[in-house]
Amino acid sequence: MKLPSPRSLRQKLLGMVLVITLVSLIVALGAIIGYDLRAYHRVLVSDMTTQAELLGRTIAPALAFDDTKVAKENLSLLRFRPLVSSAAVYNARGALFATYARKDDPHAFPKLPEADNVRVDERDLVLFKRIVSDGEILGTVYLRADYELFPRVYDYLGIAAVVLIAAMLVALLMSSWMQKIVTRPILAIAQVAREVVGQRDYSRRAVKMSADEVGTLVDSFNDMLTEIDRRTRELEASNAKLAQEAEERSRADREILRLNAELENRVRERTAQLETANRELESFSYSVSHDLRAPLRAIDGFGQALLDDFPEHLPGDAKRYLSRIRSSTQHMAQLIEDLLKLARVSRGPLERRTVDLAQIARQVIAELQQGEPGRAVEVSIWDGMRAEGDPHLLRAAFDNLIGNAWKFTSKSAEPRIEIGALKDHGHTTYFVRDNGAGFEMAYADKLFGAFQRLHSTNEYSGTGIGLATVQRIVHRHGGRIWAEAEVGKGAVFFFTLEAATEAPADERTVAKKAHG
Amino acid sequence: MVRRWLRAGAFSAVVAAGLASPRPVQADAQADEYRVKAAFLYKFGSYIEWPSGSFASADSPVTIGVMGAEALAEELAQIVAGRNVNGRPVRVRRLRPGDPIAGLHVLFVGRADGGRLAEILAAARGQALLTVTESDEGLELGSMINFVVVEDKVRFDIAPPPSESSNVKISARLLGVARKVVSKSS
Repeated sequence: MKLPSPRSLRQKLLGMVLVITLVSLIVALGAIIGYDLRAYHRVLVSDMTTQAELLGRTIAPALAFDDTKVAKENLSLLRFRPLVSSAAVYNARGALFATYARKDDPHAFPKLPEADNVRVDERDLVLFKRIVSDGEILGTVYLRADYELFPRVYDYLGIAAVVLIAAMLVALLMSSWMQKIVTRPILAIAQVAREVVGQRDYSRRAVKMSADEVGTLVDSFNDMLTEIDRRTRELEASNAKLAQEAEERSRADREILRLNAELENRVRERTAQLETANRELESFSYSVSHDLRAPLRAIDGFGQALLDDFPEHLPGDAKRYLSRIRSSTQHMAQLIEDLLKLARVSRGPLERRTVDLAQIARQVIAELQQGEPGRAVEVSIWDGMRAEGDPHLLRAAFDNLIGNAWKFTSKSAEPRIEIGALKDHGHTTYFVRDNGAGFEMAYADKLFGAFQRLHSTNEYSGTGIGLATVQRIVHRHGGRIWAEAEVGKGAVFFFTLEAATEAPADERTVAKKAHG
Repeated sequence: MVRRWLRAGAFSAVVAAGLASPRPVQADAQADEYRVKAAFLYKFGSYIEWPSGSFASADSPVTIGVMGAEALAEELAQIVAGRNVNGRPVRVRRLRPGDPIAGLHVLFVGRADGGRLAEILAAARGQALLTVTESDEGLELGSMINFVVVEDKVRFDIAPPPSESSNVKISARLLGVARKVVSKSS
């Protein structure tokens, strides 16, 4: 939007008043002049017509009795009407009968009279009037008078110009004095507004000078300034508070960063310490387990020898106690064996190569079937399950998982084991499912801790180290392991062999697919 | 209107022709003189005011009596045919000396009856009657208007009757074109 030229309100008001005055004057003067000129014309025409009639009547006897002298005398009376420049009387035949001319009149008399008419001929009014008496035309009066319309127009224009100038000057003086009444309060507001904007000083107030709309404007303006002042203060306070808070927060952030760095250092130190301790502990437990096996074998061996060599010397109770000793010894040997396995899983480098998990699963099932030829278990192994991983460790993991499934389906009516893999978004999740005893999901967390058994040894044999071993194998591959189960309906163990990038929520979908 | 204008023009042409140039032949001059006098006689009517009682009704004619001027009477009869004076028709009556003058509005006494002028004018005195003569002693004998010929032009003198002695009023406009106006003492 283009703003008009930056004139002040004062100039605009002044201009307005002057333009209005000018227009009004022009219209008024125009009307007056127009009216006057029209009146002048009418009055002159009427006057001259009357003059011609009078002249006709006066001169009628002279015409009737053919007295040129009298006619001339009659006409010469026109010298008292200086407006009339020339006059003539024509007789009934149309011949000039008598004439009159003002000294300065240059016009020739028309040769023939015309019918009654009035017309403007250049600067003159020309008039013909017939003299009629008793229905007879006695002759014609001719009059030529000064028609002063144009000099009058010039006079009027001059007067109008003077009046215009005088009126405009008066209007200028009056309005420049009076417009102050209107503009002074407004200009005062404008001045205050300029200062407020220029200096950002919202404490300024405009002075109320009148009770009209401008006064209302002043009140509103002041109210607005008060409001702006208040808000500005609030805003400044709020800004200061925010700045302080931001300062505090950044200080806190720095503190947190510092603490984090410290913490990381400490964690690193602790981890190193823990790793050392762990290695020492593993080394220690390995040695202990290894060294414990020799005495156990001795106990078992000699217990066996005692039973074999002296069956007749031993009462029935003694034989039974010896059997219990041997059984416990063997269990302990198994425990030690498992612990050693667990330790071995943690030790040594991880080998990565393509492994056919289906084949491993089949081998494990075959071995289990061999151990219990009497059991009939429906086994389903999906084809083409391949994984990148350590073949020995994966074999150990399947030994445990499938072994568990085999073990916990021993009391099922129609035992069934399924080993498969699900692909989702390029990630593979492997699972081992059975329809065995299952467990309460409330204990799902405890499954993978060493020596955490959910079932008594009387119910199902086992050392409680197997799932801890599996978890450690899966973790070493960078994967995760979890389980879902329902008491009496069976359990599913899932695991992955690569670092999961997906959110844990995906576990649910995967689990559902596996169940379905 | 056009017809009237043409007629008026024709008449005026006749009058003006008579006025314009004096004829060498005496008879023609005499005829022109009577023609102009007849026209004047008719026109006098327009400048005379008779008392209202002298007319029977609003459209009663103005009667002009002519005595001792047969040629003028003939001219006048031609002129007044179809013309009006003050809205009244005009009638011409030829008179011989001794004929009654009652009912007349204008009485012209020509030179032919000049010998009995005093007698005729005496009879007319006191009547609502405009008396016109063409004798040198006409006004002295009691006539109101008397024709004269000056420089071959017909003019007239007027002796307005004293207002108390006559009921006829002569317009001041007519007085204005008279050669001279004689005021009577009697």
